[in-house]
Parts: sequence; structure tokens; C-alpha cells
Amino acid sequence: MTSSSPSTSPLVSRRAVFGSSSSPSPTHGRNPVSLRLYKVLGAGFEDEPTKEALRTLSELYGATSASGAKTTLVNGKTAKGETQVDSDTDDDDDTEEGASEEAKLSLGPFLSDEVTAPTGAAAHARKNLRRDIDVKLAGSSRKFLSALGQVDQKLDALQAYITTMRAQCDQAHTQLHTTNEACKSLLDQAGNLRQERDTVATQQTILNLFVSRFTLTSEEVIALTSRDVLPGKRFFAAMDKAVKIREDCRVLMSVDGPTKAGVDIIAATSSNLEQAYDKIFRYLTSEFQAIGRGNRDWERSVDPDANLEASPTLKEAVRRLRDRPELLSDALEVLSQTRQSTLLATFLDALTRGGPSGLPRPIELHAHDPLRYIGDMLAWLHQAIAAEREFMESLFELGRDGIGGRMIGSARKFEKGRMGEVEEWIGDMVDKNVGKLSGPLKLRVQQTLRSQESPILAYKVSNLLKFYELTMRRTIGEDAVLSEALREMSDVSDKVFFDAIEAQGRALLRLLLNLDDTALTPPAPIQEHMQMLRDILSVYESSRLDDSGRTEAEESGEDGKSKSPSEFGVERILDVMVDPALEVCLTAAEEKRRSRPSWDQAVFVLNSLTYLQGVLESYAFASTKRESLSAMIEDKVNQLVEEHYHDVLKDTGLDTVIIVLQAKDPGVPLSRLDAAQPHELSVALQKFSSWLSGLEVMHSPRLAQLTVQRLHSKIHQTALARLVKIYQRLCEEVRRPENRYEAASTLLGGQRPFGQIHLLKQIFGLGDEDE
Amino acid sequence: MADYDADATELLETYDFLMKYIIIGEAGTGKSCLLHQFTHNSFKDHSQHTIGVEFSSRTVKLGEKRIKLQLWDTAGQERFRSVTRSYYRGAAGAILVYDITNRQSFQNLSRWLADARALASPNLVVVLVGNKSDREDEREVEWAEASRWAAEHDVHFLETSSLTGDNVEAPFLLCARSILLSIESGSLDPDKAGSGVSYGDRALRRVNSSSRLSFGSLSGRRKKGTVKLRLKDYVPGTANSECC
Ligand SMILES: Nc1nc2c(ncn2[C@@H]2O[C@H](COP(=O)(O)OP(=O)(O)O)[C@@H](O)[C@H]2O)c(=O)[nH]1
Ligand SMILES: [Mg+2]
Repeated sequence: MTSSSPSTSPLVSRRAVFGSSSSPSPTHGRNPVSLRLYKVLGAGFEDEPTKEALRTLSELYGATSASGAKTTLVNGKTAKGETQVDSDTDDDDDTEEGASEEAKLSLGPFLSDEVTAPTGAAAHARKNLRRDIDVKLAGSSRKFLSALGQVDQKLDALQAYITTMRAQCDQAHTQLHTTNEACKSLLDQAGNLRQERDTVATQQTILNLFVSRFTLTSEEVIALTSRDVLPGKRFFAAMDKAVKIREDCRVLMSVDGPTKAGVDIIAATSSNLEQAYDKIFRYLTSEFQAIGRGNRDWERSVDPDANLEASPTLKEAVRRLRDRPELLSDALEVLSQTRQSTLLATFLDALTRGGPSGLPRPIELHAHDPLRYIGDMLAWLHQAIAAEREFMESLFELGRDGIGGRMIGSARKFEKGRMGEVEEWIGDMVDKNVGKLSGPLKLRVQQTLRSQESPILAYKVSNLLKFYELTMRRTIGEDAVLSEALREMSDVSDKVFFDAIEAQGRALLRLLLNLDDTALTPPAPIQEHMQMLRDILSVYESSRLDDSGRTEAEESGEDGKSKSPSEFGVERILDVMVDPALEVCLTAAEEKRRSRPSWDQAVFVLNSLTYLQGVLESYAFASTKRESLSAMIEDKVNQLVEEHYHDVLKDTGLDTVIIVLQAKDPGVPLSRLDAAQPHELSVALQKFSSWLSGLEVMHSPRLAQLTVQRLHSKIHQTALARLVKIYQRLCEEVRRPENRYEAASTLLGGQRPFGQIHLLKQIFGLGDEDE
Repeated sequence: MADYDADATELLETYDFLMKYIIIGEAGTGKSCLLHQFTHNSFKDHSQHTIGVEFSSRTVKLGEKRIKLQLWDTAGQERFRSVTRSYYRGAAGAILVYDITNRQSFQNLSRWLADARALASPNLVVVLVGNKSDREDEREVEWAEASRWAAEHDVHFLETSSLTGDNVEAPFLLCARSILLSIESGSLDPDKAGSGVSYGDRALRRVNSSSRLSFGSLSGRRKKGTVKLRLKDYVPGTANSECC
């Protein structure tokens, strides 16, 4: 390596000198220094390196002194040292350098020993260079040798160290191995422990999850049980969780069978839940007590529908407590109590005090006007019920899905089975809350009714009550307290009404007809009586139109085509009102006839009957009564026809002949009987003829007393028709040979109507048809 | 009218005010159908005669106010007069309905109004409604004539069709708005019984929380102006006179 670099350093130059000096010897033939030297020698000496070498060389010889003994000594070992140097130069530069240094130091005395004559140094050098150099080399080599010997010694020591170290290393290794072995089990243990730790951690997580899922946090428990946390968002959320825990637990246990933990959890949450329900119950109870009382002073107003509203929390609480019906029921009972007393107070205020500023006026202000008074009370109740119902519906969150509400007036189904549970709660509540009001209502209605003397007003009140009875049946159901009360009241009013008209009927029966009154028309008391009936029937008629609406379908559903209760009612009214009038007409008239035979009782009765019938004429629903009157009229008409016929027969003078004719023995000829002898017959026929030209053929003074003109002509015509028939029979008998009239045709043809039936009919204005 | 429709749809759980209305007018003018449209958003087919008095309710929104309306539908027939008269007590609003195709129903209005004025609270707000506006061909009462009548009698007026639903919400909202303005002006006190109006829970809670009764939009100066402007459109004889 050094040889390849440009030889600027003194050392290299010196080496080059050594190399060139030793190159001729076979031993040093390959010595690079020699080679180099040769090369240098073979070249010119002008260049810088050559000059340098030469300078060195000259120094070598110039400075040497005589010390040849040493040189020889050193020379002896040259070969060996050279080898040593060669083999070591590559290993260690320091060694080589050290060696070179020593070589250099020792060169001085060697060279001086060789160069004996300094003046002739060059010649000397030329002669001895090789040997000098060899000697020098040998000296150096010996130095090398001794140095290397030391190195060798050191290396041996080093070797020993190394051996020791190796032994120690082996030992350490063994120890390490042993330790390693020992550690392995530790590591295994650690691994196991780690795994265990992971498992435990997982279990911990699961447990935490489980705990958070299956147990309530202390906050939640507080929310559920503490009296300081009012029902609200937090409370309801905790409740939801508790319920879920219980459900989940049940599900788990239904799969895995009961476990202690499960049972414990269920027990704990159940107890918390029960406390929560109790809390809801307490909350509702106090809220319900507050509703409409105390906290809002203006609620004690006369307005039946003054603010009543359920807050969202209240609704939620009610919804939750529906899981504990008995608690809800108790809470609602409290609500019902407060509502009852509040409603009662407001109702009484509305009745007696009116609004604070006097408006609206107290209902009792109109107590003198029974219809308005009772109507106002009932309307107030109706409105209170509507408000109450709305409140309950909002409390139970009913009908949230529709835009509006069902019309309260519209029919509602009240069958228990088909009604939802909530409907049932609501229905019961509304019923209970307003039920208490029926007391004061009943009291006032009955007082009003009792002081009523006018049957017609009683009847109107009765109808009003029935109208509201129907409305209430649709609104709060048939079994509701108020419906029941209304039924009772309407029964009472019915009774008052019927009592009144019955009393009036009885009074009418005591009526004696004025004996001196010759009139044949119904007397004033009867007319007044019947006018009242007319009024009653008009009220009935207008109220009956109520039924013709939707109720008809409802009611006919119950008892098919039979009459509605109101129809039974009106028949009773007709009986109670018409019968006494009829009675008076018949019996009182009979009595009068006895004392005043001249008084035409039959015409009076017929006039009375037709009057009564006339009153009922315009009422379709009175048909039954009308028909029974018609039958009586028919009888009376027939009776009158009979009487009239005989009267007429007497007037015509034919009566005796006809009696004989009708009574005769068939075997005896008519002409042989006294009254029918030709002369007598002729006289009778003459009288008949003159009667025919009289006024009474067309007009009966008696029948003219009949108020119904139609009956006059009907009776008269019927009597005349009979007259025609009997005249016809007379003619036939006279013409029969068996009756032995000699000039039958002459006898009959002597006087009008000349035995001609059609002529007689013409005179009477009767139709010509044969019967 | 569009903003009325937008305002009045929601069904609400709580409300600020509760108002009682009575619906009156001759039988057959479409009172029940009008109410049905208002509460059910549909035409009531085969409408039967109202018997006496029927109840329904609906909550509407006016600005920020939620108002629960209690609606009392009455029978127009004479024979029910004595019954229905009792329901004027404490009504805050009256919707007086006639049938634009039936002159008779218009001619009888004075009688109905007299009843209402005599029996209801002095603050009663009356809205005259000419119903069946869909039957233009058979019209017997002109809009202008009815509008004049309304102005003379100091009532609001508009026409509706309970068949098509056209304008049906307007009378109810107009009435409510008018009542709210009376409350605001102090002439009507919901705390007083018999006024036909009371505070709802929502208003009460607001009172409790702020210890000051806020009328919200209606108190605000800006909104108040809006309301008045809108009301003006409906006051007969002022605007819209060229309508129809
Ligand atoms: N064309 C038309 N018919 C209507 C309208 N409103 C109601 N009717 C009809 O008028 C009749 C009476 O309606 P109803 O609501 O019972 O009248 P009410 O007696 O005032 O309650 C019914 O036959 C309805 O179908 C309407 O806006 N347009
Ligand atoms: Mg109706």
C-alpha cells in the first residue's frame, strides 16, 4: 500500500534505499525496496525522488561512525527478522513502523562502522553498499525478531486470557441457558397470567355491561324512589329501564332457568318499580287534588268549561299507572272527588251568584220561567259534561289521531264489551264527576214542577227533560247517574202532568149541563178542555219530530215496529183528556134529556162527538182515538137515521098503512085490514102527496141543528131512501091480486108520485140506480 | 286566506286560550257541514238534522297562540229555540250562518242576531257566514247586500262553502283573532267567568315561569300591525269590496 503512493515521506524514501541496496542478493531479489532502488538506479538521477534517495544515501555514509561489531551481530539474524517483518507488516502497521524506526536508529552506528574513510565515502559506498545494507537489514531483522518475540509473548499471554475468557463465557452461557430454562416457565406463567387477565378484563366488561343493563344506577334508583325527584323525563326514563330490566331478566331466566342473580335482580327492580308506581300514585293524587282547587282561584267560576287541561306529565303518569289499575283507580277516585266538589260549587255559583261581575246572570234569576230555568240548568250541565269529557279524553290521551273529536251529540256505543278499557275509564269518570250535580238539579226541577199548575207547562218541561234524557244517554250512557236522574225527573214531570190533566178530567165529569141551555153544541168547558188538548198535542207533535231523526233507527232496533214510548204516552194523554169529555157528552146529556125531553139529546151527542173528532183531525198520531170516535159517530148516525125515518114516515101520513102492511098475516088480503082499506089508503096517499110538495122534503129542521152539514144530508137522504123503499113495497102490495084492491092502478095513480118509484127518487134527489 | 290554512292544521296538546263558540242560523243553511269541514276537513254527506245542540272541538294556531275552540252546533228549527237559547250563556263567539241560495235564511238573520245579543255576553264577537258559495248559479243573496247588512249590524262577514271547504277556517280564525284583540285591549278578561274565554295550561305555565302574562306575537308591535292589517281585509265594507 505505501509503495503505490508517491514517495514523498522520508520513510518511504528510506525504504526505497533499502530496497535498491538489497536487490542484487538472491535473498532480497524480490524485495520491493531493492526493486525500486534498481529501478531508480537504472533511471536518471535528475528527478526529485532519485535526488532524495541519493541524498539519503549520502547521509547514511556521511554520518556513520565505527561500530562494525554491532553491525555484524545484527546481520546474522537478517533473514529471520526479514521474514518476521514481512509477515507482520500486513498485520500491524504500528509494529512495522516501530521496527522501521529501530532499524533506522541502528543504521547510524552500523554505517559509520562500515565507512571507515569518510572522505572517500562514495567509493566506499559503491563498494560496500550491498553488504552494508544487508548488515543493516540483518540488524533490523534482529530487532524485529526481538520485538516480535515480545509480541509473541504478549500474544501468548493474550491467548491465555482468551482461553480463560472463553471458559468463562462458556460458563456464563451455561448459566444463561439455565436461567433461560428457568425463565421459560416464568414466561409461560406470565403468559397464562396475561391470558387470565384478558379473560378477566373481558369478563369485567361483560359484567359492567350486564350491570349497566341489569341494574339501575344509583341515580336512577334515586329518580325512581326519592321524594325529591318529581315524575318527569328522568323519572320516566328510569322507569323504562327498570321495566326493561325485569323483562330481559325474565326472558333470560325463561331460557336458562332461574338463577339467584336473576331472582335478585328481579326482586330489586320490582321493588324499585313498585316504589315508582307508588310515587306516580302520590304525584297523581296531589295533582288531582290541585286540579280545580286552591291553586287557581279563578277556576271557581260559573263557567262550566273553565280551563281544565292535562299537562303532558300528568298524561304520561296516567298512562304509566294504567299498569296498576288499582292504584290508578284510587288516584282517579281522588280526582273524581275534587271534580265533584268543584263542579258542585261552580254549579251552585252559576245558579245563585252568576259571574263575579254579574254576567252571566245567575240561572235562578229565571226561576219564574220554568222552561228557561230548567233549560238553562240542563244546558249548563251539558256543557260541563262536554268539558269534563274533553278533559278526561286528554288525560287518557284518547283521540289523538283524529283532527277533531267525535261530536258529543252523535251516537256513541255503550256496550261494555266493545268499549275500550280507556273508554270505560273515561265513561266512569265523567259519570261520577257530574253525577253529584243531579242532586241540586233534581231538587230544583221538582220544586219547579210542584209549583206548576198549568198542565201544558208541565208537559213542556217533561218534554225538555226527555230531550235531555236522550242527549245524556248518547253522551254519558244510559246507566249514568245523571241519565238515571233525568229519567226520574221526567217521570216526576210526567206524573205532575198526568195528575193535572186527570184532575181536570175529573172536574169535567162533575160538570152538569145547564138545563135551560137549549143549545145543541158542546158547552164551553168542554171546548176549553179540548183546546188544552190541542195545545198539548202541538207540543207533542213538535217534540215527536225529534224522534223522527236518527233516534228512530235506534229505538226501532229495540222493539221492532211496536210503538215508541212517546206514542204510548200520547195515547194515554188522549185517553185522559178525551174520555171525560166523551163521558160528559153521553151521561150528562142523558140526565138532561130526562129533565128536558124536548131537548134534542141525540143531535147534541152527535155534535159533541164530531167536535171531539174534529179536534183530533189534524194529528195523524191520534188515529186510534179518532177511529173509536168515528165508530161512535157511526152508531149515533144510524140511530138518528132510524129516528129520522120514523119521524119522516109519520109526517108523510103513510105510517099507519106501513105498520099494518109490515104486521099483517100473509093469508089475509091487505085491503081487508082497517087502516089499509081503499079509502083510508087513498087519504094517506093524498097526505103523502101534499107532504111531497112541502119544504121538509129537502130540509129537516131537526137535522139542521147538526153542526156537521154533511151528516145532515147524509141522515136525511138515508131516511128518504128508506122511504122510497117502503113506498115501493106498498105499491107492489097494492098491485098484487092477493090483496084484492079493485082499482089498484087508479088508487095509486091518483096522487103524486103516482106509484112511480123513479119519480119519487127524482123528487128526493136520489140516484136512480137500483140496489 | 292562505295563511289561515297554514296556521290552523296542527292538533295540539296544550293551549293558551279556550274559547266557546255557538253556531246559529236557520235549519239547512249548512251549519253542521261547516263545522264538520272545520273539525274533520271533509264534507259531511247525508247530513242529518241537528237535534238540539251538539258539541265538537278543535285546537287552532294563531301566530304563536294555541287556541282551543269549543264549538256548539245548534238546531235551527223553531221548536229547538228554547233549548238552544240556553247555550248562548257565556259564548265568546257566534258564527251566524245563512244560505246564499236561500233568501229566507238571510231575511231571518235579524232574529238570530237579536237572540245572540240578548242572551250572550256583551263582548260577543259575531261572524256572519254566507254558506254554499259553490252554488253560484242559484245565488239569491248578493255578496254586497250581505256585506252591507253586516256593516250595519257591526259583525264580520265572509262567504264559505262547506262542500268544497273553501274558506271554512276563516270565520273561526277571524272570530278568534277578534277575541284575542279584545283581550289585549282589556275589554275582555279571560279570568272572568262567563266571558267564554279562559286561559289554557300553556298560558298559565307561561305566567308562572315569567310571572308576566305575555301575549307573544299579539303584543309585539310588529305582529300587532300585521294582525290589524289582516283583520281590516275582513271588516265588511272596508276592503275587498269589489270581490265577487
Ligand atoms: N252545495 C252545498 N250544499 C251544502 C253546503 N253545506 C251544506 N250543504 C247541504 O245543505 C244541507 C243542510 O246541511 P246541514 O249542515 O245539515 O245544515 P244545518 O241544518 O244548518 O246544520 C245538507 O243537505 C248539506 O248537504 C255547501 O257548502 N254547499
Ligand atoms: Mg245542523
